[in-house]
Amino acid sequence: MAQQVGLIDFGSVGNVESVRRALIAAGAEVKLIRTADEFDGVSHYVLPGVGSFHEVMEGIRANGLEEPIRQAAQSRPTLGICLGMQMLASLGFEFGETAGFDLIDGEVRLMRCKAPVPHIGFNRIEPIKESPLFAGIDPEAEFYFMHSYEFVNYTDVCALSSHGGHRFVSAVSKGDLYGVQFHPEKSREHGIRLLKNFIEL
Amino acid sequence: MRVIAKLDVKPPHVVKPVHFEGLRKMGRPDELARKYYAQGVDEIFYMDIVASLYQRGILFEQIEATAQEFFVPFAVGGGIRTIDDMTRLFHIGADKVVINTHALQHDASLIDRAARLFGAQSVVVSVEAKRWQGYWECYSDCGRERSGRDVLEWVQEAQERGAGELLIQSVDQDGRQAGFDIDLIGEVKQRAQVPVVAASGAGSVEHIVEMAKAARPDAVAVASLLHYDLCDVAAIKTRLAAELNQDAGQVA
Repeated sequence: MAQQVGLIDFGSVGNVESVRRALIAAGAEVKLIRTADEFDGVSHYVLPGVGSFHEVMEGIRANGLEEPIRQAAQSRPTLGICLGMQMLASLGFEFGETAGFDLIDGEVRLMRCKAPVPHIGFNRIEPIKESPLFAGIDPEAEFYFMHSYEFVNYTDVCALSSHGGHRFVSAVSKGDLYGVQFHPEKSREHGIRLLKNFIEL
Repeated sequence: MRVIAKLDVKPPHVVKPVHFEGLRKMGRPDELARKYYAQGVDEIFYMDIVASLYQRGILFEQIEATAQEFFVPFAVGGGIRTIDDMTRLFHIGADKVVINTHALQHDASLIDRAARLFGAQSVVVSVEAKRWQGYWECYSDCGRERSGRDVLEWVQEAQERGAGELLIQSVDQDGRQAGFDIDLIGEVKQRAQVPVVAASGAGSVEHIVEMAKAARPDAVAVASLLHYDLCDVAAIKTRLAAELNQDAGQVA
């Protein structure tokens, strides 16, 4: 039976449509959630992510979605993608200091390394703890990254990746809450598999 | 190094421009996008090459029809003038937006505003460079309009304004399949803090290898080579990995 996934569409930004198509390819039914009263009746939530931390968090607050999203993420398996992952943190530093959802302890800071930033392209991930998200995925598999900021976290790291000699957090998890810095919706069949793993949680 | 398929579109067809002027029809964008996805392409760039020139709006329907059934990043450019244009593109399946004419000729703050809202990583600034004695000049509208702007100065400004990636095209080399403007790519790469996508001129895998070794961009955008089936994406990637002596998958 197809799981119904609530895809949170927080206003004017985000590559929501790309994520929606990938979730459908992974076998999900997708319900777009745009207002506070649309959160009910789904088994999973996805918080997508193209945007800048400050603008998007402010938009979420202005639209009264902060508390509903925080509650949703604590009630059902939830996956944050890229900015959607970063916003789970306590604090972000993109265009000023902005409070995040504070669901996973940590800060989101500009990447500093020897290679160009933004980090853009396919890259490997190195799981450092057992996670159902990576079940059945080839260890050599590559995922698509496009980000300038990284999630600095010491407690809930699920996978690391490396860019320009710098290792950074590429996935976090805490209970049923997951976050990936890369874009599964843009990572070919491996990404679809990861989404399938998520919706089967 | 990423290999990007660049679809230069004069709706409803993908066309192959010669010096950004003469056009030949190459196929439908949705079909070609799926074909190159199957070959292992890293990204797809969809460039409506006549939108700015004709001063018409973006043809969203065809873009949406193209953004189906592939799961790699989809960047869209051509005729983007406003933040609303970009929002709409993200909502029909784009992952990045590509800006040139409007920012270069009318309002450079479009880059700042886009980066602030969507994040730098989603904002690609495209440069159409024309080589003169000792410098390059930025062009727009598919290589037709001069700007008087020096390319190296403009890419610096674009980065300061928040461009997350630079697509470097050459008005002189585009569509000729006679090799890249390697000096241009190299000069830009040396000054760039953000990833550089080299475009214009690949007529063979050798051209790509030669340019990649000399200029070391972060990605290469290919059009004619793929449209004419002179080689496929997998062949380019394998060859580049071997020649650049790096792990096929490692991000440089």
